[in-house]
Amino acid sequence: MNPTIVETVNVAREVAWLPWAVQYFFLIGLSYGAFLLSLPGIVGRRRGWLGISRLALLGALVCGLSAPVALLADLHQPGRFYHFYQFFTPSSWMSWGSFFIPVYLGGLVLYAWLALRPLLAQQAADGGLSPRLAALSRTLAYGGLESRGALLAAAAVACVGAALIALYTGMEVMVVRARPLWDTPLLPVQFVLTALAGGIGLTLLLKRFSGLPDAAQGSIPLFRALAATQALALLVGAVWLLLGLTGMSPRHAEALAQVAPSAAWQLTAIWAAGSTVLTLWLALRRPGSGLLIGLLALHSAWMMRWTIFIGGQEIPKTGAGFYQYQLPLGYDGLLGMVGTFGLWVALFIALTTLLPVARLTLMASIDHPTS
Amino acid sequence: MKQTQICPQEAAQESPASASRRNFLRGLPVITVGAVGAPLPALAGQSGARWGMLVDVRKCIGCQACTIACINENEVPEGSFRTIVSTYSVKQPAAAGQPAGTYVLPRLCNHCDNPPCIPVCPVGATFKREDGLVLVDGDRCVGCAYCVQACPYDARYINHQTGKADKCTFCGHRLEAGLLPACVETCVGGARIFGDLNDPKSELSRRIGAAGDSLKVLKPEQGTKPRVFYIGLDQRFQGKVEGQGALWKPELHGGKS
Amino acid sequence: MKIARRQLIAAGGLAAFAAGFSQTLGRIADKLMGKDAPRHNVWGNAAAPEFTVDPASGKLQPNPAQQVSYTACLGCTTQCGVRVRVDKASGRVIRVAGNPYSPLSTEPHLPMKASVRESLIAFSRFQDKGLGGRSTACGRGNAVLAQMNSPFRVLAPMKRVGPRNGGQWETISFEQLVREVTEGGNLFGEGEVAGLRVLRDLAAPIDPAQPELGARVNQVALLSSVNDGRLAFARRFWNKSYGTLNFVGHGSYCGGSYRSGTGALFGDMKKMPHAKPDLANAEFVIFIGTAPGNAGNPFKRTGAMLAKGRSDGRLNYVVVDPVLTNADNRAAADRGRWIPIRPGSDSALALGMMRWMLDNERINTAYLANPNLAVAEQQGEPSFSSATWLVVTEAGHPRQGRFLRGSDIGLKIAEDERYKENDPYLILDAKGKPVPADKATAPAALDAEAVLTLDAKPLAVKTAWLLLKASILQQTIAQCSDACGIPAATIGALADEFTRHGRKASVIAHGGMMSGAGFYNAFSVMTLNLLIGNLNWKGGLVMNGGGFKDDGEGPRYNLDSFAGAVKPKGTPLGRNVPYEKSSEFARKKAAGKPYPAQSPWFPNAPGLATEWFTGALSGYPYSIKALILWSANPLYGIAGLRAQIEKDLADPQKIPLIISVDPLINESNAYADYIVPDSLMYESWGWASAWNGVPTKASTARWPVVEPIAAKTPDGQAIGMETFFIALAKAMALPGFGAAAMSDAAGQPLPLERPEHWYLRGGANIAWLGKEPVPDASDEDLALSGVDRLRPLLEATLTAEEWRKVAFLYTRGGRYQPAKDAQDEAHPEWQTNRFKNPLWAWSDMVGGSKNSITGKRFAGCASLQPPAFIDGTPMRKIYSEAEWPLQVVSFKSALQNSYSIAATRLTGIHAENPLLVHPADAARAGLKSGDTALLSTPGGAVSSTVIVHEGVMQGVVAIEHGFGHRELGARAHRIGKQQQPDKPALRAGVNLNDLGLADPTRPGKSVWVDAVSGASVRNGLPAKLVRA
Ligand SMILES: Nc1nc2c(c(=O)[nH]1)N[C@H]1C(S)=C(S)[C@@H](COP(=O)(O)OP(=O)(O)OC[C@H]3O[C@@H](n4cnc5c(=O)[nH]c(N)nc54)[C@H](O)[C@@H]3O)O[C@H]1N2
Ligand SMILES: Nc1nc2c(c(=O)[nH]1)N[C@H]1C(S)=C(S)[C@@H](COP(=O)(O)OP(=O)(O)OC[C@H]3O[C@@H](n4cnc5c(=O)[nH]c(N)nc54)[C@H](O)[C@@H]3O)O[C@H]1N2
Ligand code: SF4
Ligand code: SF4
Ligand code: SF4
Ligand code: SF4
Ligand code: SF4
Ligand SMILES: [Mo]
Repeated sequence: MNPTIVETVNVAREVAWLPWAVQYFFLIGLSYGAFLLSLPGIVGRRRGWLGISRLALLGALVCGLSAPVALLADLHQPGRFYHFYQFFTPSSWMSWGSFFIPVYLGGLVLYAWLALRPLLAQQAADGGLSPRLAALSRTLAYGGLESRGALLAAAAVACVGAALIALYTGMEVMVVRARPLWDTPLLPVQFVLTALAGGIGLTLLLKRFSGLPDAAQGSIPLFRALAATQALALLVGAVWLLLGLTGMSPRHAEALAQVAPSAAWQLTAIWAAGSTVLTLWLALRRPGSGLLIGLLALHSAWMMRWTIFIGGQEIPKTGAGFYQYQLPLGYDGLLGMVGTFGLWVALFIALTTLLPVARLTLMASIDHPTS
Repeated sequence: MKQTQICPQEAAQESPASASRRNFLRGLPVITVGAVGAPLPALAGQSGARWGMLVDVRKCIGCQACTIACINENEVPEGSFRTIVSTYSVKQPAAAGQPAGTYVLPRLCNHCDNPPCIPVCPVGATFKREDGLVLVDGDRCVGCAYCVQACPYDARYINHQTGKADKCTFCGHRLEAGLLPACVETCVGGARIFGDLNDPKSELSRRIGAAGDSLKVLKPEQGTKPRVFYIGLDQRFQGKVEGQGALWKPELHGGKS
Repeated sequence: MKIARRQLIAAGGLAAFAAGFSQTLGRIADKLMGKDAPRHNVWGNAAAPEFTVDPASGKLQPNPAQQVSYTACLGCTTQCGVRVRVDKASGRVIRVAGNPYSPLSTEPHLPMKASVRESLIAFSRFQDKGLGGRSTACGRGNAVLAQMNSPFRVLAPMKRVGPRNGGQWETISFEQLVREVTEGGNLFGEGEVAGLRVLRDLAAPIDPAQPELGARVNQVALLSSVNDGRLAFARRFWNKSYGTLNFVGHGSYCGGSYRSGTGALFGDMKKMPHAKPDLANAEFVIFIGTAPGNAGNPFKRTGAMLAKGRSDGRLNYVVVDPVLTNADNRAAADRGRWIPIRPGSDSALALGMMRWMLDNERINTAYLANPNLAVAEQQGEPSFSSATWLVVTEAGHPRQGRFLRGSDIGLKIAEDERYKENDPYLILDAKGKPVPADKATAPAALDAEAVLTLDAKPLAVKTAWLLLKASILQQTIAQCSDACGIPAATIGALADEFTRHGRKASVIAHGGMMSGAGFYNAFSVMTLNLLIGNLNWKGGLVMNGGGFKDDGEGPRYNLDSFAGAVKPKGTPLGRNVPYEKSSEFARKKAAGKPYPAQSPWFPNAPGLATEWFTGALSGYPYSIKALILWSANPLYGIAGLRAQIEKDLADPQKIPLIISVDPLINESNAYADYIVPDSLMYESWGWASAWNGVPTKASTARWPVVEPIAAKTPDGQAIGMETFFIALAKAMALPGFGAAAMSDAAGQPLPLERPEHWYLRGGANIAWLGKEPVPDASDEDLALSGVDRLRPLLEATLTAEEWRKVAFLYTRGGRYQPAKDAQDEAHPEWQTNRFKNPLWAWSDMVGGSKNSITGKRFAGCASLQPPAFIDGTPMRKIYSEAEWPLQVVSFKSALQNSYSIAATRLTGIHAENPLLVHPADAARAGLKSGDTALLSTPGGAVSSTVIVHEGVMQGVVAIEHGFGHRELGARAHRIGKQQQPDKPALRAGVNLNDLGLADPTRPGKSVWVDAVSGASVRNGLPAKLVRA
């Protein structure tokens, strides 16, 4: 088969949203996903959830704090981030986003502090710490009394923030009509589902390494929740395809038309569907330690974003064929991604040095003390 | 300013339904762009004029004089382009009497009357002037590339020398000097006609008038109301071209910054 | 301990973070230090406009920081007049556009009387002037300005270090350069090298046994490229002052076969006059082997007029070409058509069309019947032909194939006048008697033949027309169709359309004729024009206006003759003279076997660079002692040459001294012993003129609009071709250069010691040509055009009366005849500048000469000939389709030329030249676009990416010319301590000439050339393609 039209002279446009952006959307997604998992134990005081929720909170914090840094790096004028606040532009979802991020992160950090204060205080009291750490714990604990009201308030703020983040991250991409692949009403839903799955995945991993017994209560619901996200993801995917194939939605049809011919895209689609089904099946039948499904969930969350952003930008808006993106090794590529991961690790270690995982999960296997 | 409907195709706009859907999706209150990306007074532009371009594809010989003149005039970094003349070899039907034919298509920013690149800008750095020029205020741009994503014509790019969004300016600096855009000035085939759409006596207006129904724009369904018009625009090339892509070398891209 | 590990990991994480975000931090810092601020917040780094024009009043306001000057572009051989815009502070050229006075850049062009101010306003929006009088520079013309400060420029004299082509040089002083090349000596520690002084031996013969070869001075040979307006100066030195015969340009590997074909039709095989379609008024044009708008000379002018014609709906055109190019435009599909043709088979198409015209009585016999110009004009024809003239057809007669002349039938003609102008050509009168054609007062018999009796012997004669007719009748349209692969119906339709537009139709060719049947393809194709009588008609085939003559004995100065001038004599290195006049012939004839000659001779060709190298290196007709390469690149440009000679060229024993004058290091002068920097484009002087395709006179002024950046001579002049040759002349005390070496019209001696002495005085000659001299340049003209920079030179070199007139030319970038003068006032349908000699239906020179290998007579008119080798063996007889199923052809890049590869803005758009393969052939080889394949011919093989589409005839692989470089930046040379940058991108793609063939029917070294024109064969190379 020979194409009717062969482009002999044209140029490729560079990918303008770099892997940084993918990382931001990934991390911020994991963050609010994990944050939601922190609620049953910490706010809802569900039986057996406390440890898991605290681990989830730890994850939400680490991801939440590293995400904006990746976002900053995706700007070609990072030094001008303040312009976002100087020139608020209500017609732009990104502009709104720049206000939602502090709301969410502010809420999250406050909520985390209020939730962990007692532990800090207790840790300082228990002694056996290096004097510096003890002092730090004490100061941070700031008395360490448990203020339920404030906690709920902070959680509420963080919830609203999380919702806004979920909304804007989806919309920001969805409104880009120039990219049919992005411009589908289902995209935000897919973002949310994969974010939740990713959040669960992350928590499962943390739990796996936290020494919490596999059988710890709470993991069962985690598996179920994960299964649910995967099932929904499959459903949404199916709807997406249906809308596209039947042409019921021209946007979907267009999006489908653009990628359908490409072998690479077919592979990606099969891969995505396959891994989702696998995760679903494992979550229901063989959850095991949660390590594998956790990884799978994270991987789907990442891959979905990578494909949408990088893959989406490989589709010329006017020219024929595809632009090939090769991941650069430098700042704009691999090195940048490693950098963000490095930051993540550093933050994780910093926080867990302050509050060792063991302590987070302490007494978590038994019921919550005050009930 | 009033959105003059010049191109017959603009009658065939996107369905109001989809339009309203988009607005609904944008959801939040939308302040008019002018008010936000308030251009500096110096940029108020030539009052009265409404700049536009007509590309007569029949006259294009694919020499790329426009492409390179633009690069020289505007110091466009290696690997980036404000305009380019896409060239295609097109298999012909038996009736054509020849196995294949050459199709050339000069592309540049359309200086849309309804430009999707503007509302997305988070800091109001990109704006439309009174005279229709869609521009980027480099002092404000944070280089987020949202506009690059939003342009349906791949007309924008990040300039790695300046770290800002960049695109065709219709050579506004030359317009203000009473000159023509570089690509128009040096168009060997005479395919690029530039002028004031609001001036009925301008050559541009006359040619557009004469063109009648043969006048077309790229991606009319996007509702962007381009102000770059085409004569001889084959509908297979009006949107994304379905075919085999150019064997272009990405490593020739300009130094990243 | 556990803690320590955690800290380590944390530290690692932070380190990674720091690394990954260092750039971001850097950017933040830049911002804080305001580093990122472009020149303007909205216009970015765009340069300030060169001037301002008030769109309301048209008032012009120059920008004092910039200079705007008119000169020539050298982005290709078109040499358009362009407007160069320079940043005065840095001397950097910002951009170029067209010169509105120049017809090569503007249609119609501005009259000279328009002031410079007006010419600048002509670019502006004021009254949409810039659209109407659009004056342009093409993509390449815009891009090549990068060459000006290219890191690959040669800026000082260089001497090779180590072996030839080693890529190592040392820079030397101008004095050392001149001393070493004139005096010679043991220059490279490789033994004695004879210098130019001793090599200039005007007395001693090269070979006493072959005196016709001439003196030893002929063993110094110079190869140049194209006349860039400086040729006369170089020739003054090498031909008239130094005295060598051997000085040729690139013609034989440019469009040699086309030029010879037209030469035959126009009756001059040495100067080879030719004409072009009047695209401004034509209704139908067939381009056979030339791609208007894709390449062609004049590139821009042709492209612009083609675009106009096809969109105005006046012009229909057909492009007959194995390859689809930018000559086609589907948006104007109803006006233009591409017809694929089998390589090298154009004579079949032409003869097929002729056959159809003959069968359908569409040949303009009334036109052909006019025996001379007077009769023609009576009949309302602006041109005439030799169709009615008689040709000797008596077999075995010494004059067989030649025109019957007055002296042949006993008219009184002085012996030394025999067969010259005054020896009349003859026609048959009503009574069947031969009478002088020039005396005829009425149309003559066309279908006439007779058997005359001269001194009791019968002498059969036929009109030239009858011979052509016989050649046409030799094959059917069907046979032609088989040969060229164009359906018979299409051939008929073409002929039909061609003969439906009166005189407003024409056929033209060029590079596509560079095949194994080049000469006959070109002669046949161009003969189609004769058959409709379109020459000199508005809208038909029209002559070039030519240039205003700067050299020669002009009205103000004598730029020609001088005391002690040499008249070079001998046999040219390219053997473009009759073999029958050589001692070898005499010797072999005496021995009873005059043919074959050792190697072919080309009596009907101009100077042949194609034959130079293989000839000289095998000492036939003689070897050379010194080679000068002036801006020529034969190793890149001649198909098959590199493989034949690269070893010998690297061997100093073979050619002891190679000197190059060139601003760049190309594939050829990489073998030089010395490279002398030459001026580049806008730095040069010169009086360039249009190669063809401009009906009015046009001379483009070249002058250093920017300071040449090459090193200076001791007396402070920029080193270049002129200063180098002047220095050589002085060092050897040669005539024609120095204190009193030239003279004004009155014979008063004048110095010729600086380039401007030559060019400014040449300018004065131009200024004074025509009815009255050009007006004076105003001070404003001088200021607005940057010519005030020249003022001191002008005043110092010219008389008070002259300098402002010459300045007038520089302010306008040349002298250009008004566009309206193209047609004759008395006869508005006729061109003013007419070709007044006959067109030759039968070529006396070709028909009367023999192939020096076979001794067979050449056919003297359009005839179907297959691509063949020198002895007439068809190419396919030796390289069968079974073994070599494909044919390779070359087509010019729409963007690149042969030396623009380092203009990276072009490669940025179009990085390489993938082999263009037809889907059917690709399928056979299992290839798809983007794959790599190995393409091989009997002459070589290249491995390259392929692109697959229907834009090429099945069975043909097409290679875009201008890529596959080994030099011009593709290789990083070492100059002194300096290493040039390594730019792999400049090595992109392949060069068809690396696939060129040697002639298997020739003993020893050879490249495949056309048997008549001696032109390089690069189209229709037998080949095979496999996956790599
Ligand atoms: N396969 C194939 N071979 C071809 C052709 C083809 O189409 N296909 N084309 C043929 C044709 S048409 C031609 S004319 C020949 C050309 O062949 P040549 O005339 O021999 O070589 P060019 O590359 O045109 O130019 C000669 C050199 O001039 C120098 N030069 C470049 N710019 C300047 C300048 O501004 N000033 C000075 N002084 N020197 C400069 C460069 O070193 C350049 O290599 O090639 C022929 N060869
Ligand atoms: N863009 C551009 N323009 C140029 C130049 C350049 O390098 N680039 N160089 C300049 C120079 S030096 C010259 S001489 C002119 C040359 O200008 P042209 O002669 O027009 O260009 P070419 O590509 O040499 O040859 C014309 C066409 O002949 C076709 N061809 C090949 N073999 C055959 C055949 O056997 N039969 C037929 N009918 N066609 C055949 C080729 O596919 C090509 O498209 O262009 C000048 N202008
Ligand atoms: S890149 Fe600059 S102009 Fe474009 S959206 Fe971002 S801030 Fe606005
Ligand atoms: S073409 Fe793109 S960049 Fe230009 S105005 Fe329209 S949307 Fe904006
Ligand atoms: S108008 Fe100016 S900026 Fe726009 S494409 Fe043309 S030259 Fe480039
Ligand atoms: S300059 Fe004009 S003719 Fe040449 S490619 Fe550009 S639009 Fe086409
Ligand atoms: S046609 Fe040749 S000479 Fe003319 S502008 Fe283009 S490159 Fe320069
Ligand atoms: Mo040429």
